[in-house]
Amino acid sequence: MSTELSVTDLVTGYGKQEIVHGVSMAAREGEITCVFGPNGSGKSTVVKAIAGLLPVWRGRLQLGERELTGLPVHEVVRHGIVMMPQGGGVFPRFTVMENLRMGGYSLRDTAWVAQRIEALIDEYPSLQRRRHVAAGSLSGGEQMMVAFARALVPDPTFVLLDEPSAGLSPALVSETMARVEGLRERGVGVVMIEQNIREALPVADRLYILAGGQRKFAGTPADIHDDRHLMTLYMGGAA
Amino acid sequence: MDLLLQALLNGILIGGILICLTIGFQLTFGVLHVIDFAVGGWVMLGGYAAYWASQLLGLDPFISIFLVFALFVAVGCAVGPLIYHVRTSRYARPDLMALAFTFGLFIMMRGGALWLWSFDSRSVDSWLSGHSLSLGPVTVPLLRLSAFAMALLLAVGLFVLLYRSRFGLAVRAVAQNRDHAGLMGVDVKRISAYVYGLYTGITASAGVLLATIYSVNPEVGVRYTLFAFFVAVLAGLGSVGGVLVAGLLLGLVESLVGTYVGTRYSLLVVFATLYLVLLVSPKGILQRGI
Repeated sequence: MSTELSVTDLVTGYGKQEIVHGVSMAAREGEITCVFGPNGSGKSTVVKAIAGLLPVWRGRLQLGERELTGLPVHEVVRHGIVMMPQGGGVFPRFTVMENLRMGGYSLRDTAWVAQRIEALIDEYPSLQRRRHVAAGSLSGGEQMMVAFARALVPDPTFVLLDEPSAGLSPALVSETMARVEGLRERGVGVVMIEQNIREALPVADRLYILAGGQRKFAGTPADIHDDRHLMTLYMGGAA
Repeated sequence: MDLLLQALLNGILIGGILICLTIGFQLTFGVLHVIDFAVGGWVMLGGYAAYWASQLLGLDPFISIFLVFALFVAVGCAVGPLIYHVRTSRYARPDLMALAFTFGLFIMMRGGALWLWSFDSRSVDSWLSGHSLSLGPVTVPLLRLSAFAMALLLAVGLFVLLYRSRFGLAVRAVAQNRDHAGLMGVDVKRISAYVYGLYTGITASAGVLLATIYSVNPEVGVRYTLFAFFVAVLAGLGSVGGVLVAGLLLGLVESLVGTYVGTRYSLLVVFATLYLVLLVSPKGILQRGI
């Protein structure tokens, strides 16, 4: 039985400015759920609210039966939801190992975390060699590796990705999408915010399109007839 | 030559205490992004705490320093959330509000001390006072040597905590990016309160040492706030490692100027040094954070 991460009638924003006006969506474990939308559509705001970085003004957040609404950001991780901010969010002055140890910070069992880190780092030979190098001195692609490996350290149920392709070269974008599919293969549920529809659409299992802080479309990639249909949806037109 | 050696030694001994005085201040800036004007106030209160511990309980300052440390860690952990609240407020310019808040705290400490204990300078006696060691041509006052050792112990303790513990990892993560640290599961508010507590504990302990070497009155705070600013800016704001170099440098400059030029020129030369260093290296000596 796979767990569902659900957002119900979410209203939130920055300061006093309401950005998201009652959005609902659901993501399943072992699936990639993509959220598209133009700048200012509120797509990043939704994941920040799920991660606890922004307060929920109205509506509910749930993981299966568990209530996540109103949890502070540091508690959300303990429920198995890891958010990777734009650019990966690695700590530049920390070594690769310190970054990975931060990934397991929410867990008490440090021996388990150490084992888990060793298992994960084995999958990335180039990180293996640079364990004690400051993450800030790594290339953009290597920093993304650290970010993905770090997100997996606590063995999460869901990983939230805020525009993982932003600022990456075309070659790195496809590499990153392959990593996102890698998360799904592990059975992790992925919620991915993207602007780069062309790269993200092929990997998506479910699709939401937001515009102006409202949901304009919910469905699967198969529901998209052609590029014109997609553009109409994207620009906030009717389905 | 003997005079030079003596001056250098005095400079190093005082430099160690200046390190202890600034290191927590620097950590607080790195983690909470608050320039704490009250730093000299904590020094002053630490000095008074040692004085009263000696008067009322008959404790030697080298014993009471541990109690003072514990007491001020507790006080700092209580004040820390207030400062965090002001600093992270959603209203305009929380950075300036936090500066004003600590400035107010400083005024209250100074006013409170004047009201409670008057302007009289109090000295704190230790059984080490008056003893000294002769090392060839130089004389080492035991009091200053022990104070130096104690200051170093506190500073090293802080470094071990920062670089060898899970708590330290969290503190350094928060210093780099508060939001990202939160996403990893770090309770940023609680860590910030603990950091402020550590800072007040260490700074008050430096106050115990300074009160024992010199004396304490309600006005000493201003001077120590200036010193902390000097060392912090010279080190590069937020750089805990740079404090080690900058603190020793300030101690040496002060001692050399005091010996060869005259004590009344020491502040002048100290700030001229700061000016010159910043001219060459605007970000301070070690241009990186913790």
